Amino acid sequence: MGKLKFAIYWGAACGGCDVAVLDTHEKILDIVAAADILFWPVAMDFKYRDVEEMADKNIDVCLFSGAVRNSENEHIAHLLREKSKVLVALGACAQLGGIPGLANEKKRQDILDFVYHGSPSTVSQKGVYPQEKTRVPEGELKLPKFYDAVMALDQVADVDYYVPGCPPEPARILEVVNAIVTGNLPPKGAVVGALDKALCDSCPRKREEKKVKAFYRPQEILFDPERCFLEQGLICLGPATRGGCSDPPRCIRSNMPCEGCYGPPPDVTDQGAKMLSAVGSIIDSQDPEQIEKVIDGIVDPLGTFYRFGLPASALRKKRFL
Amino acid sequence: MDNFEPRIIGFYCNWSSQMGVDSAGVEGASYPPNLRLIRVMCSGSVDPEVIIEAFKRGADGVLILGCHLGNCHYRNGNYNALRRYRLLQKTLEQFGLEKERLRLEWVSVAEGKRFAGLVGEMTEELRRLGPLSQFS
Amino acid sequence: MKTISIDPITRLEGHGKIEIFLNDQGDVENAYFQVPELRGFEVFCLGRPVEILPRIVPRICGV
Repeated sequence: MGKLKFAIYWGAACGGCDVAVLDTHEKILDIVAAADILFWPVAMDFKYRDVEEMADKNIDVCLFSGAVRNSENEHIAHLLREKSKVLVALGACAQLGGIPGLANEKKRQDILDFVYHGSPSTVSQKGVYPQEKTRVPEGELKLPKFYDAVMALDQVADVDYYVPGCPPEPARILEVVNAIVTGNLPPKGAVVGALDKALCDSCPRKREEKKVKAFYRPQEILFDPERCFLEQGLICLGPATRGGCSDPPRCIRSNMPCEGCYGPPPDVTDQGAKMLSAVGSIIDSQDPEQIEKVIDGIVDPLGTFYRFGLPASALRKKRFL
Repeated sequence: MDNFEPRIIGFYCNWSSQMGVDSAGVEGASYPPNLRLIRVMCSGSVDPEVIIEAFKRGADGVLILGCHLGNCHYRNGNYNALRRYRLLQKTLEQFGLEKERLRLEWVSVAEGKRFAGLVGEMTEELRRLGPLSQFS
Repeated sequence: MKTISIDPITRLEGHGKIEIFLNDQGDVENAYFQVPELRGFEVFCLGRPVEILPRIVPRICGV
């Protein structure tokens, strides 16, 4: 097999997925016995022009991380889709919308107002906002359009595979590249490098009985490092999250509950709704008033149950009239 | 809002609430046609995902009907309904969906008139609130 | 006026572009640096429980 041609790109991203690729420590190059990276802004000086000038399907694999927040992210997603044989949504932002997706709870104009004017550390210039087109004495400057809502990659382009996680495990990235190189392609649309069961299935913690009399914030109690978080009244998204991040699961072994970054298990469309359904059913009370009190102990349900997946969920985006 | 006819999806359980809904018919207690009923075996089986889907597909309001607490045909199903519904309602409120659009009511065989009354009430409440704008 | 466009800037974390305008002599008349990205962390973190913040803000920059 000849040199595999790669493109690695980021939309509304933090760079963590690119770091995960770097953390494969050249193993990725071993597999392909020298790969050609044709586009990778964090590490190499190729320009959009270089991609535009390529033939269609010239790139063998494009790893696309980050969410779609503005028109440039969408434009480059379409461009890379055109120029790539395989498009992989890398990481939680590309797969689900990710943390930036929490902005979908806010009004677009409110975001712009606060960032450019309201924030205490911003020197506000009256009436100045980023514009898509700005006339300057020498010519015209352009900026992308800031969309109303954050989107996942597959909401704007046809995605072949998903590698979940925030960030993904380097070993899993190697697995998907290896699968492509050796031709052992999973079915299109597969979530690669993850299990087909919920996280609880691979969780090493002791589980007894799920009957919870109260929910706590992690700083409110001293909790048992060996026992299931949910059973102790700490919200853990394990039951509604796809397993496979690590063995034992990463956050669990750091004594923190699962945040849900791997997205929903197979056949679940709305991770948040499934999780709150699970949480509801373990409340140990038959008294409506007591139930109400227990539920009051869950602060910020939207930010807890939908932390990574708001754009990809059934809720998607809060609408403002 | 002149011509706005709210659409309510009602999930009603196969046991007490089915008999209650039936009683309304028998007693001649009429209720607005805005309610479309879907029978389920237990109010506890109504998944929050399904409720959200109902709103996404055009429901302006969702009503869940079950047996009175303590009388669930499956013993505990309606307690699950109550817990899930309250948590979902709290989450959806954060999302901008008015509390009044999602309702859980216990209806027994003897409450045909009460059932009809609450459907009328909910219809008027939704007419006042207007069509649901929260979902794409 | 001739323009040189550097898009995107590379080998750093984040999105950026530079437009350089040259005059008839080929000298730089003006250059503009633009940041075509915004996610709004400072807005969607407001109102969240404090213990969630250390799990959200590291996602500002993964590098």
